[in-house]
Amino acid sequence: MPETMTLRGKAGIYAGAALLRLLLFVAFPSLPDLLTSRVEISTPVTSFKRLQEGLFLYNHNVSPYDGGVFHQAPLLLPLFSLLPDVRALPIFTALLYILVDILSAEALMRIAASGEAVQSRLFTSPRRIRQASSLVVVACYLFNPLSIASCLGRTTSVFTNCATLWAVAKAIDGSPFNAMVALSFASYLSMYPLLLLPPTILLAYDHQLLKGRTQAAPTFAVKNVAIVLVVLGMLLGMSWALDSQSWEFLGRTYGIQLTLNDLNPNVGLWWYFFIEMFDSFRSFFLAVFWLHLSSYVGGLSIRIRTQPLVVIVLLLGIFSIFKPYPSIADTSLFLGTLPLYRHVFPLMRYSFVAAAVLAYATFLGPAFFHLWIYAGSGNANFFYAITLVWSLGQSLLVSDLTFATLRDEWEVERPEMVGKEVKQI
Amino acid sequence: MQSLFAWLLLLATAVAASDYHEQLTLRPLPLSSLLASFDFRSNTSFSDYESQNFRLFPRSLAQILQHAGTRELHLRFTLGRWDAENWGARPWDGTKEGGTGVEMWALVDAGSDEEADQKWLTLTNTLSGLFCASLNFIDETRTIRPVKSFQPEGHHTEAALAHSRLLHGVLPHEVVCTENLTPFLKMLPCKGKAGIASLLDGHKLFDASFQSMAIDVRPICAEGQECVLEIEETIDMVLDINRSKRPKGNPIPRPVKADELVCDQSKPYHSEDTCFPVDHLASPDWQLDQVFGRPMKGTCPLADATVPSVCIQVPDKRHVFTSEGSVQHKGADGQSRCYTMDENNDFTLFLARPDNPGEGLEVVEPETPLLYAERSLTGYGQEKGGVQAILTNPGNEDVEFVYLESLPWFMRIYLHTLATHISPNTTTAVDFSTPSSDIIKEIYYRPALDRVRGTQLELLLKIPAKHTVFLTYDVEKTILRYTEYPPDANRGFDVAASVITTLSPRVMNLRTTSLLLYLPTPDFSMPYNVIIFTSTAIALAFGGLYNIIVRRFVGADEGEQSPLKAKLAKLKEMIAAKLGKKSAAPEEKTAVEAL
Repeated sequence: MPETMTLRGKAGIYAGAALLRLLLFVAFPSLPDLLTSRVEISTPVTSFKRLQEGLFLYNHNVSPYDGGVFHQAPLLLPLFSLLPDVRALPIFTALLYILVDILSAEALMRIAASGEAVQSRLFTSPRRIRQASSLVVVACYLFNPLSIASCLGRTTSVFTNCATLWAVAKAIDGSPFNAMVALSFASYLSMYPLLLLPPTILLAYDHQLLKGRTQAAPTFAVKNVAIVLVVLGMLLGMSWALDSQSWEFLGRTYGIQLTLNDLNPNVGLWWYFFIEMFDSFRSFFLAVFWLHLSSYVGGLSIRIRTQPLVVIVLLLGIFSIFKPYPSIADTSLFLGTLPLYRHVFPLMRYSFVAAAVLAYATFLGPAFFHLWIYAGSGNANFFYAITLVWSLGQSLLVSDLTFATLRDEWEVERPEMVGKEVKQI
Repeated sequence: MQSLFAWLLLLATAVAASDYHEQLTLRPLPLSSLLASFDFRSNTSFSDYESQNFRLFPRSLAQILQHAGTRELHLRFTLGRWDAENWGARPWDGTKEGGTGVEMWALVDAGSDEEADQKWLTLTNTLSGLFCASLNFIDETRTIRPVKSFQPEGHHTEAALAHSRLLHGVLPHEVVCTENLTPFLKMLPCKGKAGIASLLDGHKLFDASFQSMAIDVRPICAEGQECVLEIEETIDMVLDINRSKRPKGNPIPRPVKADELVCDQSKPYHSEDTCFPVDHLASPDWQLDQVFGRPMKGTCPLADATVPSVCIQVPDKRHVFTSEGSVQHKGADGQSRCYTMDENNDFTLFLARPDNPGEGLEVVEPETPLLYAERSLTGYGQEKGGVQAILTNPGNEDVEFVYLESLPWFMRIYLHTLATHISPNTTTAVDFSTPSSDIIKEIYYRPALDRVRGTQLELLLKIPAKHTVFLTYDVEKTILRYTEYPPDANRGFDVAASVITTLSPRVMNLRTTSLLLYLPTPDFSMPYNVIIFTSTAIALAFGGLYNIIVRRFVGADEGEQSPLKAKLAKLKEMIAAKLGKKSAAPEEKTAVEAL
């Protein structure tokens, strides 16, 4: 009986989320375009309007990469040119995006249902009975206003999010090959998910062992890295053939994330920093910022080796703060995976502060952007200040989750310390 | 005496062999404006040009052209706007006019694009020195290679055309002023000392409502003769007569005295104490030396004497008086007369007021242009917007033309939003039934690349008779690095005029005004602050996480106390001890606290 209940509940949530999105698409036809033009949702590398421009040029036999507008992966072009013209029949694009959101939710559902968050191969949380039900996790993701806004804004990061979630779900499922293929797709679309490779391999390795397939860790890692390289190579090769056999697209899609040529405002920290940067130090700080972004991977994977899933969640949070072109779609992915760790929420110290800061920035961000760009009564510092607050709020959340996870681990060794004051030395 | 005679003889033969014409055409326009078109044309044979033997062709320019391998050069310095609604078709069919600022295009001798770029760079840099203009700022982001719009105008062999490239650059921000006029005059054989060029005064020229200086150099090959390189310099200016007539020493306009005021008595509100002045509507009288600030100093002795120096286009009914010694030649159409004059005497001309003002035929009726074009930015805010071009065909024939936009890279255009709407002139209702493909025949598009090149958009359009086409597309305004903004960043950036070249029923040119694009600006005083704030935010995040990862957990009461806390406790103890000596009561209190 509970089985069918769950099924019914799951179907209900999916249907509800899909209907809500469809209703918003149909009842407010100008809403998607409004959201598409918001800098918080669309970045130069994920904007749907830029995708349409690329598609227009692609359909008229002009290379979209011979221009400064289109910076997205080449394989999105044939996919979207299969759909009917979005201006004439927007409903098909809407359906595609709703479908992708539901698929992401399904992956999240599997991750939550596996219980990996509370019980991994090397660690079992003493608080596992407080685990959030998978339905709650999925509902939190699907009905998060940020997820809904990024779906309506039709940013292409939802494809990356979907591929990333499936990579994790498949790794937990014990099928490393599928996980690596999904991760390659995510990396092909946005590049940064490549940094998730180490924790994903660890996660897949743990589940290999749980399934009784023993294998030496280095062999397993090399094999999976090879899979990722081969799949990425194939995808890039297809793109090369598609872009009239030219490698120009590499510079336009991944190069722009490395060099930050397009300084459009977004919710991240990079844009204003590199507007104001002195020219002679530009390359140095670009290197430092990228190094900083990738420095978390090793440290977290080693320190929290017992729970690879939490490493992935933390890294998703870090990416949504420190990647070159972050948007609220990235934040929505982090916030979507966060309820997996509901059982450690009571251990968090600043959850109220973090939530308040995030809410504050969410409401004031658009207002300050309006003051700067439209009203002219504020300057760029207004929006910059709010992106700083937003980033600080998220980083508080990330470090607090790290603290809670580590304390949860520590309490296994020191069960008598539950509920007592602790400090770190 | 003999040597002087020999010199005069030499001069005489030189004049006979020369080929230099100059002519000034004056045309009063409605609303008390006056169009003055100066035309100076000379040429040199190719053999002379190649052996560097220059007589009338300016040596400075010729050597630059030879150095930069330029076959054909067109240079324009323009200021102001041609008011087509009132003034009608443009002089020279718009072919001698540029967009606001400086515009130049040239046919350079180059086998490859790289070579062409190199020569173009040389050309713009040297011309920049010659004309005291910032032509060296025409870099690759402002240079385009027109495909449909601009074509070579001179006579070239097939082989030469195959081995050359046409490049076009525009500098809309450049303010044209006196320093550009001086080198222009220096290139004339009479250097502005005699002939019609002696009328050109920077104060009047750059005070005009519209002025355009043009230089065209092109090879001309007549049948059975040696090819010549022709240079044609033209200046068109539209003067506001009332403004130019103000005396030099007292230029401040004063109100007309009440008893001298001429009122329009047909107005319903006309009475003793209300007046609608008609003065500026009627064609006023003016005198040449008055509107140009100086008389014309004879004719240029090097010019072809058979070509009359000054022509005026007014109906025959108007009275024109000239200086002594000039001869009038009336045109056959009854709307123009030309004057030849004495070489050494000053010349002036006086156009009297019409006999019966208000009866029409005061000025030659302006010709209706083939097209009216205007372009503006739509939307508000500094994030995104649109461009709308309104193109009207007032005539009875379909007009086919090329519309060229050369946009800076920081104005990102979305070509998929390019749309056209057509409406008949008589109604304002927009007809959505005609699909865009019926209006836009062909698109040539070269997208912009950030910091490398600008957008080049050429559209081949056709507008049916008596219709208006609205051409719209979306643009996005880019935010730049703070060092890329000019010192007056909040003024905005100039966007070059779009160029319209009609193909049928006849070829003519027309330009819209330039646009002012406001880009979002960062705070220019903040670089250090931003670097510090962002670095602090990153350090806080990294440091916080690092602390949590590397430190060990202990209970709050376990482990050794931090040295600071120990010191504080010691200090507290000391204070308590000292206080305890003085009274017993506080000691008790501290004892309680210590517990």
